[in-house]
Amino acid sequence: MSRREHRVLGWLFTSPYLLYSLVFFLIPLCWAMYLAFSDWNLISPVYNMVGLGNFKKALENPGVRSAFWVTYKFMAFFVPIVVTGSLLVSLLVNSLPRYKSLFLVGYFLPYLASGVATSLVVKGVLSYNSPLNEWLRGSWNLTIDWLGSPVSALLIVAVIIAWKFIGYYSLILTSGLESIPTEVYEAAAIDGVTGWSRFWRITLPMLYPALFTVLILSAGVTFGIFTEVYILTKGGPDNATNTWQMEIFTQAFSKLDAGYGSAIAILASVVTFASIYVIRKLMEKWGDRYGWE
Amino acid sequence: MYKCKKVMAVVLTAGLASAFLMGCSQETTKTTTQPDGTVTIDFWAAPNPPQQKYWQQMADEFAKENPKVKVNVSPMPESPSSEAGIQAALAGGSAPTISENISRGFAAQLSDSKALVPLDTLSDWGEIIKNRQMNNTISSWKFADNHQYVLPIYSNAMLFAWRIDMLKQLGYNEPPKTYGDVMALGKKLKDKYPDKYVWANPDLTDPTWWKRWFDFFMLYDAASNGNKFIEGNKLTADDTSGVKTLTFLQDLGKNNLLLTNQSTDPFEKGTSVWTTIGPWTFSTWKEKYPELKFNESYVLSPPPVPDGMSTENVKTFSDTKGLVIYAQAAPEKQKAAMQFIKWVYSKPEHDQKWLEITNLPPARDDMNTNDSFKSYLSQHPELQPFAASIPNGVPPVDNAKFNDLQTTIGKQAVNPVVTGKSDPAAAWNAMKKELQGALK
Repeated sequence: MSRREHRVLGWLFTSPYLLYSLVFFLIPLCWAMYLAFSDWNLISPVYNMVGLGNFKKALENPGVRSAFWVTYKFMAFFVPIVVTGSLLVSLLVNSLPRYKSLFLVGYFLPYLASGVATSLVVKGVLSYNSPLNEWLRGSWNLTIDWLGSPVSALLIVAVIIAWKFIGYYSLILTSGLESIPTEVYEAAAIDGVTGWSRFWRITLPMLYPALFTVLILSAGVTFGIFTEVYILTKGGPDNATNTWQMEIFTQAFSKLDAGYGSAIAILASVVTFASIYVIRKLMEKWGDRYGWE
Repeated sequence: MYKCKKVMAVVLTAGLASAFLMGCSQETTKTTTQPDGTVTIDFWAAPNPPQQKYWQQMADEFAKENPKVKVNVSPMPESPSSEAGIQAALAGGSAPTISENISRGFAAQLSDSKALVPLDTLSDWGEIIKNRQMNNTISSWKFADNHQYVLPIYSNAMLFAWRIDMLKQLGYNEPPKTYGDVMALGKKLKDKYPDKYVWANPDLTDPTWWKRWFDFFMLYDAASNGNKFIEGNKLTADDTSGVKTLTFLQDLGKNNLLLTNQSTDPFEKGTSVWTTIGPWTFSTWKEKYPELKFNESYVLSPPPVPDGMSTENVKTFSDTKGLVIYAQAAPEKQKAAMQFIKWVYSKPEHDQKWLEITNLPPARDDMNTNDSFKSYLSQHPELQPFAASIPNGVPPVDNAKFNDLQTTIGKQAVNPVVTGKSDPAAAWNAMKKELQGALK
C-alpha cells in the first residue's frame, strides 16, 4: 500500500468519528457560542446581539450562583462517598479467592440502571406515607422531610449517584489493585509491614494511577448532574440542589430563553474546565510525593 | 503539498457534513401540494393517548369526506417539554401545520414572535365560531393586538375534591366553603387524626411556573371574584384578595394542616382530605383507586373563599388549551388546516366524542344546555360540577412573559409564605415589586 493510499484509508476510518464530532459537538458548540451573545428565543424572526449582556445577567442570577456553590457542596458529599465506597468494594472483591468477576458484574449493574427509574423508586421510598416513614413515625415518633431539607436533599442525591457509580469505579480500582506486584507485599511482610500500615504505605500509593482516574471522573460527574435532581427536587428546596444542568434546563427549556441558557452553559463549561484542572494539579502533587509522574 | 491535502480532506469532510445537514433541514421547502392536488397537513396532538385517539379518529373520518386533504396526526414531542419541542421545531423550520395543547401564555409568546397565523384573518373563522356556539367563550381569548391566535378546545374550570367519607367521621355532611370553615375542619381533623393533613401539596414550595395555576390562582380567582391578575402589561392584581389568599396558605402551614413533604397519592390514600382536581383524574382513579366513588368517598367543590364573602358562583382558575396554525406552514396548508378545523367543529357530535374520550369539557357556550352533552353528563355525575363551573372559570395570564411572572409569584409569595419565611403582606409587596419590574 502506497503512502497516499495509507493516508486515504486513515481518513476514511476516522471520518465517522470526525463527522460525528462535527455534527453533534462542533456545530452545536459554535451555535451555542453564537446564541450566547444574542437574545434569540429560537422562534422570533427578529433578535438582537446583546454582547456580554447574557453573561452579566447570569453572574447576577441567584440561580447561577447557587449552581456554582451547589456543585462544590455536592462534590464534598459525593467524591468521598463514591471513592471510599468503590475502594471498599474493590478491596473486598480483590480479597475473594474465587468468583471475583461475578461480584464485580453484580456491583456494576446499578451503573446500567436508569436514573429516572432509580429516582422514582427513591421518591416513593422517602415519601411521607411510605412504609419506611410510617414505621419511623409509628415506632420513634419521627417525621423526616427527607427531600425538604437542604442538607438531606443534597446528601440523598449524592448517595443515589454514588450507588450508581461505585460498581463502575470499583472495576477501575480492582484492576489497579491487581496490577500491584505481589513481590512488593512479600518484601513488606518480611520487613514487618502488615494490616493498616500495609494499606496506607503500600496499597494506597501503588493504587495512585487508578485513584487518579476515579477522582477525576467522579469530580467530573458532579458538573453533569441532572436526572436525579430533576425528578426528586427540581433544584429545591430554596435552590439547595440547583445544579448547573438544572439551571441550564430551567432557562433554556422551561423559560425558553435559548440565548441566556447558552451563556450559562458556556459559563458552566469554563467552571468545569477550571475546577478539573485544579483538581488534576492537586492530584499530581499528591502523586509526586510517591514518585508518580 | 501535504498540508494542502490535509486541508482538502478537512474541507471534504465538512462539505459532506454540510450536505448531510442540509438534507435534514429542507423538509419545509418541499412542494406542499401533490400532483393530484392532495394537500398533506401535520397535526401535533397533545402527548396523551386519549387526545391522540380523538384526533386520529377525526382525521380518519375527515379523510373519507375530503380525499384532497390528508391529515397526519402525531403526538407532539415532549422532550424536555411540549413547549420546548415546539420551539425546537420552529427553530429547525419543521413546525407542524396545526398543534393543540397550547395555553394562552405560550400562545402570547408565540404570537409575539410572529410564529402563529392570526386565525381571524383566515376565511371561515366566523363560521367556525358560529357553528361551535362559542361567541362568548372566544371573546376572552382576544390578544393585545385584537387578533385571535388560538381556537380554545376545552375549558376546564379546576375544582377541589374533599374526602367526604373522612369529613363525615368529623361530623361534616358537606365540604367547608370559607377559610374559617377550613381551619375549623382542620382543627377537628388534627384532634382525631394527628398524622393526617387538610392539604398535602409539596408543589406549594416549588417555584415552577405552572404549579401556581393549581394552587395560588385557584384560591386568588375565588378570593378576588375573578379579578384579572395581569392585564396586558399592567399588574392589576387586587391587594386585599392577594394578601388574604397568602394569609390562608400561611395559616394552614402554621396550624400544621399543610403537608409539603413528598407523598404518594396522599388524597387517595387518606393522608389528606383535600386536593386540586381536574376531570383527567377520574380515568386514573378508575384504574388505580376503583374504591373512590363520587358522593360516597369524595365530593367536588369550588375553592373556599375568605370569610364573609358570598359562596355562590365562586370563581376558579380555568385550565384552557386550544389549537393554533403555524405561520411557517405554506398558505395552501393553512387553508387546508382551516378546512379541517371547520369540519371538526361543524357538528356538536364531534365535541361530544371529545368529551367521551378525554373527559375534558369542550369550550362551548352551550355546554350545559345542548342535549348532545346533557345525556353524557347525566351518566357521569362526577363531570357535572366541572361543566357547571365553566362560566366561573378565569383563564390563565396571557402575557408573553408568563413563565417569569408565574415563577415570581412562587418565589416571592407562595413559597416563602408557606414555609413561614415571610409574612403575607411583605411577600405580596415583594412579589408585586418584582412583577412590576418584569412587566416594564
